[in-house]
Amino acid sequence: MRTATASATVPLEVSPWQRLLGVYVRWSSRNPWLASVLPFVPVVVAWAAIAKSGLFPPVFLPGPVEVIQKFGTLMANGILPAYLEDSVVRLAAGTAVGMALGIPLGLLIGMSDRAHRMLWPVLLFFQAIGDIAWLPILLIWFGFGLTTMIFVIVYTVLFPVVLNTVLGVRSVPIELHRAALSLGASKTRIVWEVVLPGALPNIMTGLRNGLGFGWRALIAAEIIVGTSGIGFLMFDARRAGSVVEILLGMIVLGVLWYVVDSWVLAPIERATGERWGLVTRKD
Amino acid sequence: MIRPARLAAAATFVLPLLVLLAIWEAVVRVFDVSPRVFPAIEPVAQAGAAAIADGTLIRHIGASLGRIALGTAIGIVLAVPLGVAMGTHRAVSAFFTPLLRFFSVLAGIAWIPIATLWFGYGFGAITFVIFNAVFFVVAYNTLLGVTGIAMPLRHAAASLGATRWQLLTEVLLPGALPNIVTGIRTGLGFAWRGLIAAEMIATNVGLGYMLFVARDFYRTEVIVLGMVVIGVLWLLIDRLLLAPLERATIERWGLVRAA
Repeated sequence: MRTATASATVPLEVSPWQRLLGVYVRWSSRNPWLASVLPFVPVVVAWAAIAKSGLFPPVFLPGPVEVIQKFGTLMANGILPAYLEDSVVRLAAGTAVGMALGIPLGLLIGMSDRAHRMLWPVLLFFQAIGDIAWLPILLIWFGFGLTTMIFVIVYTVLFPVVLNTVLGVRSVPIELHRAALSLGASKTRIVWEVVLPGALPNIMTGLRNGLGFGWRALIAAEIIVGTSGIGFLMFDARRAGSVVEILLGMIVLGVLWYVVDSWVLAPIERATGERWGLVTRKD
Repeated sequence: MIRPARLAAAATFVLPLLVLLAIWEAVVRVFDVSPRVFPAIEPVAQAGAAAIADGTLIRHIGASLGRIALGTAIGIVLAVPLGVAMGTHRAVSAFFTPLLRFFSVLAGIAWIPIATLWFGYGFGAITFVIFNAVFFVVAYNTLLGVTGIAMPLRHAAASLGATRWQLLTEVLLPGALPNIVTGIRTGLGFAWRGLIAAEMIATNVGLGYMLFVARDFYRTEVIVLGMVVIGVLWLLIDRLLLAPLERATIERWGLVRAA
């Protein structure tokens, strides 16, 4: 369909440039993995060229070679793996707690009108305050430590999960509820077999959003609280005026998140959407 | 002017927040919470009145809002044309999509260390953090929006003799607008957090700075005041500016599929 309509607009004389673009479209759809890596090649080359040209002093913008060397040394002496582990463990622990609190809360608010009336405005307000604004008072309460950082991540993950769970619960058609009821399902079975599966696609969307905000909060917390982790690595390097580690930290964060998001979260979201999503029939 | 139905809705929205205030006051009194741990309502109100009276609160709010307005404006002005340009051909968008995805997952807070090094502590670094939080997210969403426009629409416009400019202003931009607005809303969410974080680290004026300095002196009433101000400001920005904008564009230009 699509190729047929596309070819209709192509003029009879195809310029070599257009042919090249066409080849790239076909190639990239056949090799999605390579196509998502290839665009970074010219960026890295340009980066190397700019760094080499001396337009900016090397203290401000080191080249890719230095960053890769730094990656090698920090991997070899174990600092990078240890910091990475710290960051990932914090994020995982915070996310787990956030989901454990957020999903039941979301189910409650989604299924009970009274809970919705009472809690919804409060939720919106606390969501608006935002995780990072809590850091100063958390530092007074818990000091510079793990508790502060976990609290911030739990807080960040909680709201998108709750709000999306509520959305998911409310999107389950009432007919399904009634069908399960008339077949004699108990309240707990309705929650387990109707509401939760129906809300699952939204819950996954909430998790994905929450993680997107959560790992930003983690970086901010590590910068400000500063004991270990990738955020700390970057800010410690900033104090020492060493851009190499900062760039390395950014690349590690970017790659890590890119991989988690596109290879873990997006497929889960798609799978739950397809498996349990209430696909509305088009007629 | 105000219809009673809206008034009732506002009342049911405000009531739980009032209950929350009552719980706050009660807990502080009953458990005799030290003001170094959490303040009562009265000191917070006093701190608020004092900060308004001597003009510091207005100055902090002004600084924060000014930075976010400038950074966001620059970000949108650069991101939308770039996103549209990248979305016009499938090969170009296939090339740039992974790049924009990478940079939009990195957008915001992760740039604080290098921004402070490049621009020094202060206005430049913070505005840069906001700018790039908005820029990459908006550019990515614009690209998604333009590539999502159904090909038949473009072909229809072209076969009716639309010029490139008409195609741009009457098909591509309106078609991508819902995505652009969604991108602005997400980007501003990241930017707002980035702003608070950057102000804690890199400046001497702004809401984040106000909070962080108060922490040094254990002035919890100023911290809580700042948190409330941050929450209210964001609610106002999001509910009064962004959400209506998003709704309006989706209703007006969203490609609502006919049943």
